[in-house]
Amino acid sequence: MTNSETKLKEAVTDAFESAEDAPPFERVWQAAVNRHRLSQRRYRSIAIAAAVAAVAVIVLNYPALRQDEMHYIEVAELLGSTSWVSPSDVLLPERQINLYERLPVLIESTEPAGGALL
Amino acid sequence: MRDRDALENNPQITCSALEAIHSQLFGWALSRCNFDHAVAEDLMQQAYVELLSGNARFDNKSSLKTFVFGVVQNLARSRFRRLASRLRLVRRFEHVPVEATADVAEADTMSDVWVAVRQLPARQRDIVELIFCRELTIEEASAVMGVSVGTGRVHYDRAKKKLKLRMQKHWELDQ
Repeated sequence: MTNSETKLKEAVTDAFESAEDAPPFERVWQAAVNRHRLSQRRYRSIAIAAAVAAVAVIVLNYPALRQDEMHYIEVAELLGSTSWVSPSDVLLPERQINLYERLPVLIESTEPAGGALL
Repeated sequence: MRDRDALENNPQITCSALEAIHSQLFGWALSRCNFDHAVAEDLMQQAYVELLSGNARFDNKSSLKTFVFGVVQNLARSRFRRLASRLRLVRRFEHVPVEATADVAEADTMSDVWVAVRQLPARQRDIVELIFCRELTIEEASAVMGVSVGTGRVHYDRAKKKLKLRMQKHWELDQ
């Protein structure tokens, strides 16, 4: 460092030091610790509230969940009712094509695949 | 083995090590917030909270001083980015005239060196402060500022040239 640089450094350092008056470390540190504890407490209370809410939702919905449970139906119970729909009827597609009225459009291709046309 | 006063979420940092750099760190925080003592103290507290919670985790990749200075720098940046956007909104909707008299009045009472330093562009002022007053090397100062060493060197040289030029007259009068 040259002479003028040293002089400059001293001048700048003095100028900065005159503007600074640091508060005691203990005070700042204690305030930071308090802030940290407060935020931790806040997070903890939020987590507890969320857990309580989740438990409440499960407890309140338990009777409804029990109703939806699968159970065995006796044949006599089914025969005694006025209507009954077979599960296969429900699963079959409703749209049916009448081949005599309308021919379905089939996608044609000339690309051979495994010896056959697609 | 863990130090007795090591932080729980930052075992590489000890309370005594922070205490040793406290005043220099405060000086750095002070210059980040236009020398407002209350804001600087709040910024310091925030930085310590980041260290206590482990959000800012020190892993010995740099010196502790460089690391903590970087934390303060980043916190100041994010804080003033938020403030600037709020201020823009206020100006947009309230049409509050902004007075620029404080700086002028302040400049009258400040020493010539002080004025010369504060008139430097922000990056040049920062690197001069970090090297001259906080005793960091160019490499460490560049890391704190988040610029490359080459850029840091350029800012440092330009700042020194400008300061020397401005202070020459002052020193000649002294002699």
